[in-house]
Amino acid sequence: MVAMKGSRRILLAMMVGLAFLPLFAPRFYTYLISLILVYGLLATSLNLALGYGGMFQFHHCVFYGVGAYTTALMITKTKLPAVLAFLAAPVSAALLSLIFGIICVRLSKLYFGMLQISLGSLVWVIVYRWYSFTGGDNGIHGIPIPEILASTKGAYYFTLLITSICMFILYLIVNSPFGRTLQGIRDNPTRSETIGVNVKLHQLVALIIAGFFAGVSGMLFVVVDTAVFPDMLFWTLSLEVLIMCLVGGWFSFLGPMLGSAVILTLRTIVSTYTVYWSLALGIVMSLVILFLPNGILGFIEERWGRAFK
Amino acid sequence: MNRGLVFLMWLGCLFFFFGVSNRGFAKDTIKIGIVDTYTGPPTAFTFDVRDAFDLVVKEVNSKGGVLGKKIEYVTRDDKFKPDVGLAMAKELLLKEKVDILMGTISSASALAISDLAKKERVPFFVTFAKSDKITGEKGHRYVFCMNENTEMAGRAAAHVLAKMPYTKYWIAGDDYEYGHAIAESLWRHLTKLNPKVTKIGETWWKVGEADFTPYITQIMAAKPDFLIVATGGAGMVNFQRAAKATGLAGKIPFYQHTAIEHSVLEAQGLDAPEGVWGTCNYLFYYPDTPENKAFVEQFRKAYNRYPKVGALYGYVTAKFIVEGFKKAGTLDKEKFIDALEGLVIDSPVGKVELRKCDHQLILPMFFGRTKKVEGWNFLIATDIQTIPGKDYIPSCEEVLKLRR
Amino acid sequence: MDLYAFISQIVVGLSRTVILFIVSSGLSLILGVLRIPNVAHGSFYMIGAFAAYSICKFFGGQDVGFWIALFGAPLFVALIGFVAERAIFQFLYQREHLMLLLITCGFSLIFGDLVKLVWGGEYKTVPVPKVFQGYVLLFKHLHLPRYNAFLLVVGPIVAFLLWFFVNKTKIGKISRAAAVDREMVEAVGINVSWVFAITFVVGCFLAGLGGMLVAPTISVSLGMDHTLIMESFLIVIIGGLGNIWGALVGALIFGLAQSLGILIFPKFGIVLPYAAVVLVLIFKPRGLLKSTW
Repeated sequence: MVAMKGSRRILLAMMVGLAFLPLFAPRFYTYLISLILVYGLLATSLNLALGYGGMFQFHHCVFYGVGAYTTALMITKTKLPAVLAFLAAPVSAALLSLIFGIICVRLSKLYFGMLQISLGSLVWVIVYRWYSFTGGDNGIHGIPIPEILASTKGAYYFTLLITSICMFILYLIVNSPFGRTLQGIRDNPTRSETIGVNVKLHQLVALIIAGFFAGVSGMLFVVVDTAVFPDMLFWTLSLEVLIMCLVGGWFSFLGPMLGSAVILTLRTIVSTYTVYWSLALGIVMSLVILFLPNGILGFIEERWGRAFK
Repeated sequence: MNRGLVFLMWLGCLFFFFGVSNRGFAKDTIKIGIVDTYTGPPTAFTFDVRDAFDLVVKEVNSKGGVLGKKIEYVTRDDKFKPDVGLAMAKELLLKEKVDILMGTISSASALAISDLAKKERVPFFVTFAKSDKITGEKGHRYVFCMNENTEMAGRAAAHVLAKMPYTKYWIAGDDYEYGHAIAESLWRHLTKLNPKVTKIGETWWKVGEADFTPYITQIMAAKPDFLIVATGGAGMVNFQRAAKATGLAGKIPFYQHTAIEHSVLEAQGLDAPEGVWGTCNYLFYYPDTPENKAFVEQFRKAYNRYPKVGALYGYVTAKFIVEGFKKAGTLDKEKFIDALEGLVIDSPVGKVELRKCDHQLILPMFFGRTKKVEGWNFLIATDIQTIPGKDYIPSCEEVLKLRR
Repeated sequence: MDLYAFISQIVVGLSRTVILFIVSSGLSLILGVLRIPNVAHGSFYMIGAFAAYSICKFFGGQDVGFWIALFGAPLFVALIGFVAERAIFQFLYQREHLMLLLITCGFSLIFGDLVKLVWGGEYKTVPVPKVFQGYVLLFKHLHLPRYNAFLLVVGPIVAFLLWFFVNKTKIGKISRAAAVDREMVEAVGINVSWVFAITFVVGCFLAGLGGMLVAPTISVSLGMDHTLIMESFLIVIIGGLGNIWGALVGALIFGLAQSLGILIFPKFGIVLPYAAVVLVLIFKPRGLLKSTW
């Protein structure tokens, strides 16, 4: 154990802590941490495109929302087993990523982002207005989840399991040759092009993977909250997830997860005392960008040197 | 491992655990959690709910509380979004451990919270949300509705409109569930009561639409006898102003549910359009009964303004909670619910009953027209007719059939 | 569908275009010259509307309040813009675009809640002056609300003044030059910092003016900044970054798509502007007109 890198030790300790949490903590903590894991996975998937890929992924939550709605609709409207509904979420999200990706990848930077927002808004409008199918502005709630997953504890363990697996897979992807090429493209697209890398293809694949895992987190949200709402596809949520990446540190792997924890905890605390959550969020955001441009983990990495993944 | 870093981590964990811990409520009280929209246009309606509720709670607490326990409550803002509303309700339930949930003006939020209340077996009093699904299709043992819903409003209005001479109707409104529900219910009953009416067209705009001019010009060109406008809280004032500005108000008579309500008229002052037909559950100046006068006095003294319909909802909710516990004689939630069913209390609009079969409150409905009257800084309703609750509420069989 | 209804729809769409153009041109100006994608521009628009409300309230709802607010509200916003520029923005000019976008996003969140703090959460209404109430009857069947007609007159006036400022005044020309090459302009001895400040202030004035003009037609409330900033950015993007005429073209497309969309597809009509944006960006990814970048 002593031979393990400091960071790995911390991570192991946290995993053990998380595994035993529901046994002694009040229900609310279990619920909140489930949410943190869900949004953390979402933010990490965003970061694949944003931090590692350098793409202005401004409307990532479309894929999250589509994944969630797919699961919700399949469970409530068809008699198919829930497992299929769970699997369908990332598949549909990845499919949408593919379509959006093909359209958007030809552009770069701000144009990429704005086009994605426009496309995403189209999807949002359809979900929002198609009242008979998607429940419109009411969303869908009271979604029947299989018994074992329905309780707070059950949902928590399921989320913990799936999130851990997904984070591990994403970690492998980021550190694979593909991941490194992607970062190379982020840093210098023209040079990558000249050494023979198919830049657009790499970016497209990155977008599809990001969308896939966003779909997984959407499915997890349905399990934890048993409800979906059209606002899950609205650009303001995409912005919040982006802020999570920013605050946690978007050049580090665990940054987005940390960002998710910080933002959600902050939101819970601030909402208890005041309605001015936007103000708090805006201040946090501005301070982080001005003074901690690489986020909290980025700052820690600089200050204390040890490579934290 | 650097010590500074470990310290930072512990700080982080402490921050998390303490920040998220339960706080605020003293032991041994009845805790109520209110989720409502306290941001944006709906606040014209929702502040009154909370304020009237607070009045009753303070009064009851000063006399020793209920069954020896004081009532405490906290509020959370759902920003009119169901996801926020649900998250807030979950926080109130799981973190603050409230005994009773209350709220909200957003039907989407209310339905989501109602679901949560059913799962967690916590009584939930709906204030202001008007979806008929609340006590209808999605009703259950743990939800109570303290206001009229779209089905009831439609019936009440149809009751009066059927006796009017208009035959060519145009229907317009906010394109979301509320708008469609009210229009649909009104039209269904109107055609039943007066087979001579015909619908010559429909127009639906997005919720929160700011600019009604294109729609109004379209409607005016079609020249209907009468216009039914199914707008929600956000659209009421906007539409009335547009109606006045474009000249629609003078040319074609129109009806909106809650058009005569003080929240809508006060915001416009003397600029509101005259002759608009509307229905609502409460008017502070009518009926001029001692109960109503006393309530208005009490409210005015505390808040320096006239009570709007939200105040009635807040008042009756508080009263039902208090009387419910008193009748049950215990704080046990199941017995509390049993005691509430069929309970009748006194209110500023007279005796009102919380119906047993569907937990729907039966309130009287007032139907009138807006008019500028000497002595008031805003328009008030005149030619008021009162429709007793029993005349427009759907029967128990009809409601229970919807619940499957 | 009635021909007159169709025409009146277009005319009303055009008056909406005027507001969109005024605000978007301000955004485009700041974007083109200062290279700042200012998300807080929407907040300035909202503050303009709320300031108009306060001014009108101060004058007790009399018509004179409206006319004073017409210049007073944008001036107030311009003042806030000036303070913001000197205190914060002037230090940010060299930063990366994504950072600027996000930091102005943060500011817009802060401004949004500050507005809530100062003015409260409820409806505010700005009365239409009596001279603009009611409607104008054209061709016997066309009902055009007088206020919209007023907007249709104001729009071209603002466009002309803006064109004059950017192309004919010394400051305008300097700012265009500075947008292309700041160092050269500085080398010639011009205080670029002040030129930038003035440009920023003009942009904010435009945002405030847009907010003030739109106020009598809608309920002034929180959240109007979010809707508008999204629309403004989309307009500026399809028009061509930094190009003021692009903002006009973009506003026309967006405004007309909005009003026609409602007429043609009552249920999904709000999709049309977004669909239009998608189409433009697919075929002309850098916007319709030349951008200044």
